[in-house]
Amino acid sequence: MAMRVLIVDDEPLARERLAALLQECGEVTVVGEAGDGRAAVEAVERLRPDVVLLDIRMPVMDGLEAARHLARFDTPPAIVFCTAYDEHALAAFEASAIDYLVKPVRAERLRTALERARRFGAGTLAKLETMTATARARSHLCARVRGNLVLVPVADIDYLLAEDKYVVVHHRKGEVLVEEALKSLETEFGDRFVRIHRNCLVARDRLAGLVRGADGGVYARLEGCTATLEISRRNLPALRRLVRSL
Amino acid sequence: MPAPTAAPRPSWLPDFCSLPVLFAVMIVAELLVLVILIAPSDESRPLLPRLTTTSVFVQWLALLCAVCLCQLRAPLQRLPPWLGVAVAYVLMLLVTVLGSALVFRLDQELGLGLTLPVQFEARFVWRNAALCALIGAALLRYFYVFEQWRERVRAEAKARFDALQARIRPHFLFNSMNTIASLIPLRPQEAERAVENLADLFRAALGDEATPSTLGAELDLVRRYLDIEKLRLGERLRVDWDVAELPPAMPVPALLLQPLIENAVYHGIQQLPAGGTLRVRGRCDGRHVEIEIRNPCPPAAARARSGRGMALANTRARIEYHFGRRGTLDVDAGAEYYACRLRLPVTAEAD
Repeated sequence: MAMRVLIVDDEPLARERLAALLQECGEVTVVGEAGDGRAAVEAVERLRPDVVLLDIRMPVMDGLEAARHLARFDTPPAIVFCTAYDEHALAAFEASAIDYLVKPVRAERLRTALERARRFGAGTLAKLETMTATARARSHLCARVRGNLVLVPVADIDYLLAEDKYVVVHHRKGEVLVEEALKSLETEFGDRFVRIHRNCLVARDRLAGLVRGADGGVYARLEGCTATLEISRRNLPALRRLVRSL
Repeated sequence: MPAPTAAPRPSWLPDFCSLPVLFAVMIVAELLVLVILIAPSDESRPLLPRLTTTSVFVQWLALLCAVCLCQLRAPLQRLPPWLGVAVAYVLMLLVTVLGSALVFRLDQELGLGLTLPVQFEARFVWRNAALCALIGAALLRYFYVFEQWRERVRAEAKARFDALQARIRPHFLFNSMNTIASLIPLRPQEAERAVENLADLFRAALGDEATPSTLGAELDLVRRYLDIEKLRLGERLRVDWDVAELPPAMPVPALLLQPLIENAVYHGIQQLPAGGTLRVRGRCDGRHVEIEIRNPCPPAAARARSGRGMALANTRARIEYHFGRRGTLDVDAGAEYYACRLRLPVTAEAD
């Protein structure tokens, strides 16, 4: 059976070249192309390729982050990174990606990479997830709404509210559930969100002020947002300082 | 973007505890002693004992000043230079006045007769203070000029080194190679032109920094660079040129504009999925040229990477080296755009 491949690169000529090389490999179908990480994640959801050839430096969402989102899929594709010159990235991924290719890609190297992908499948991606989790904050959160994939830009998020096993992501265009712990989100996005309560993180740049409620508690008011969120006694002093410094 | 590390403030005050500086102080002090002794006076004592006592006294005062300045170097350096110099100067005078008064009194108490008769205390002290004022001023000025010179040599060397380091990103080289590899079977003529452009670019990048370039040559180089990037980024990169006013013959340092343009592409246009328009605008009023490089970029919140700092600091250092304070490079970083504004004095050869 032919291997189904998705090509992801922001440069049209680079995509063209990979497509031409793949054609020579035989037993390979190019099922689609994407120009950035976000489009790649969406394309994988739609097309379910076996292998993704993934450039690292791309706009909107880079290849490393796209790989992290892909790793959470039920049947993740095998990922082969293609990069012009990312020494650090290469060092980090040598151990965990199926393979990586340097540009300009050689036909025989591409063939070996595809062979490896065929043999090993996507098994090594879990490690990748843990390796990069500490490295850098993602630019998007990935959620599923009625089976469909939704990518929410972190910059669009107003606040995060923990409920049972989920975190509700309240963003500009609505709300979605993600299966992540509030604590780990706080660690990852510490410079973007501030904790106001045991169950709530608020985007610093949306914080408009503090108001005292009828019950004597203090609430946070957010820009462009009707909700008022309770601030716990423990987080209040730090938050007052923050609001004053805004 | 990480705050660029502040360059160490150019120092005007040397380390008085270092041996070469101490030695210089002692030499100057001894020269002063010789001048005092050679100058005609009504002193009747023989020369040799006078040489000894005067030497001991002057060296003692000089070293006392040096030790004070050495100990107070850190706080003095923190003051604005003019105030620091003034404080150091007053300090030296104070040490001399107090030291002279002390020695005079001691001499009177012990009755050694090494200084002057008792009624001349004020004269002794003030004369010493005046000598210290003159020599101290000359010495501080000398050290100031010397330190400035050393600083400039150091900065120049660093700027050159940085220039070599920061020139063209390896990322760009390999991506261009990849582009050329893609073009060869598809559009061989474009591939050929891309190789020529790449060669020109690297010839400039590997060239000698000392060979001055001209504004026209720099703009040509930027056009070649952008031609390559256009192949890579396709429709995403659009360039709006408005540089007709710029004097093409004006001498400028080599690779003045390319690193800034590369930044604009790398951090701006390339980060936008739909790309954007890079604007290069040049103005000339006869005395100054002003070049603005402006590019759209992702909103600040989404800007993840840094790395503009290097090319900026490098270009700034080289501008300062070539044009002094009259050349400036300002950055205007808006929420969704980024602009570099170069302002350079038109140099005589430009006409």
